[in-house]
Amino acid sequence: MTRVVEVPPHFDDRSFDQFAMSYGGGGGGGEGDRRRLLFDAHAAQWASPYGLLGLLTAGQALAEQNRERPLLTLPQDRDVLHYWTRTGFAEHAEVYFELHGRVPRVQARGDSDVLLEVTPVRGADDVHEVVHHIQERAATILTHELGLEAPATMGFGMALSEACQNIVEHAGTGGWVAVQTYTWRRRLGRRVVVIAVADAGVGFRRSLEATQAKRFGDRWGDAAALEAAMIQGMSRFRDPGRGQGLAGIRRYLNRWSGKLSVRSGTARMAMVPAWDDDVPLADQLPFFPGTQLLIIVPAHGE
Amino acid sequence: MAWIDLKDVLQRSVAGVYGDLVTRRTGQAVRCSIEQMLPPTDSDLDIIDFSTVRLMDHSCADEIVGKLLLQHGQARYFLLVGLDLSHVDAIAPVLERHALVVVAQDRAGTLQLLGTLPEPALRAFRLLADTGPAEPHEVAARLALSPAAAREALETLREHHVVREQAGHYQALRCA
Repeated sequence: MTRVVEVPPHFDDRSFDQFAMSYGGGGGGGEGDRRRLLFDAHAAQWASPYGLLGLLTAGQALAEQNRERPLLTLPQDRDVLHYWTRTGFAEHAEVYFELHGRVPRVQARGDSDVLLEVTPVRGADDVHEVVHHIQERAATILTHELGLEAPATMGFGMALSEACQNIVEHAGTGGWVAVQTYTWRRRLGRRVVVIAVADAGVGFRRSLEATQAKRFGDRWGDAAALEAAMIQGMSRFRDPGRGQGLAGIRRYLNRWSGKLSVRSGTARMAMVPAWDDDVPLADQLPFFPGTQLLIIVPAHGE
Repeated sequence: MAWIDLKDVLQRSVAGVYGDLVTRRTGQAVRCSIEQMLPPTDSDLDIIDFSTVRLMDHSCADEIVGKLLLQHGQARYFLLVGLDLSHVDAIAPVLERHALVVVAQDRAGTLQLLGTLPEPALRAFRLLADTGPAEPHEVAARLALSPAAAREALETLREHHVVREQAGHYQALRCA
């Protein structure tokens, strides 16, 4: 028997909790539910890098739990399917899902909106490759198309590096990264560049449990773990120089009016700029494995 | 004196292709290579050249500047050259977190003190950097400080190894 997991038609960080709820069975599923999963994306109209990486993370998590390889019904809309393929999603999805629907052949167009295709991150070499790629290929796009000044472009590379390193240093497994530009229509109405990083690893709570749980007492949980990491700069390492990557990302985004959102387990914490209407903290969300990170930098001078 | 070109160290110690100082692992490897390159004599100036480094993240800044200064800064004199704004952005929080201070010199030869010190010490450093070596009474006169405050400021700088003292004259670290 299979259980259907609905992929939202418009799949981004806002609809992610809906996806997580469906992934977790909406209360009906659970750890004992070993039915084969069918991820239904046939009605998908759009997916952000965050959504696409979330889908891959779900597949990865199931594989690492030795679950039966799930099914994925690809979008029926041809343009949507072409876009998913162009981002590199389909190539990696084939590893974790049995795909229903034909993956189109898409020629590399060097489109300026896909700055970095979906890329696995397993070790420090991958982080080097990703940063090198962005500095070589995307710096011009970030400057000329988004109007980001040189310091903003350099800081972007730093933020990307630190975001990816969270996988290498803490997740306990591999993860993914993707970078794209698109128009953020909700309130902002201008182009943004987005970094999405996701993994199916241990999550912030388990990572920090040994060193931080006692301090929080009964309050300890996913939200407290995010607070410890993002606000207090805590790390599972006792080295006082650790735990500063997220702080560096926050400083960068604060300077350039960007947004940072980190979801782990059942909580999500965000640094919310004036142009967004998200909430700084959301707790008791549907559980989703690992950690999902979203960085958004708006264009300047539009 | 050691002149350490960071990109050269990066490519010899980690990978021949990359020009960016990113990841903690790379930072550790580069720091270890730098430590092996440091001459045995502690009194000379060790210059770390960032001019060929395109990008540095916080993890590398913590390893290459933070830990290097923590482990060797009490015995050696370090000068950072070739920094751009993005390098400083990565290094400054590291220095603050570890309560460290270091001298940076730009291409025009202007000296800058990175890190946090009490105001009189910062002013004293600026004076030494702009006008050359001075004795405590000269610093006191020029900065309208008491002799004791001037001496304390200069000693603070000396203890952080950002100035040298010789025969009563205090001089800011500088690469000729």
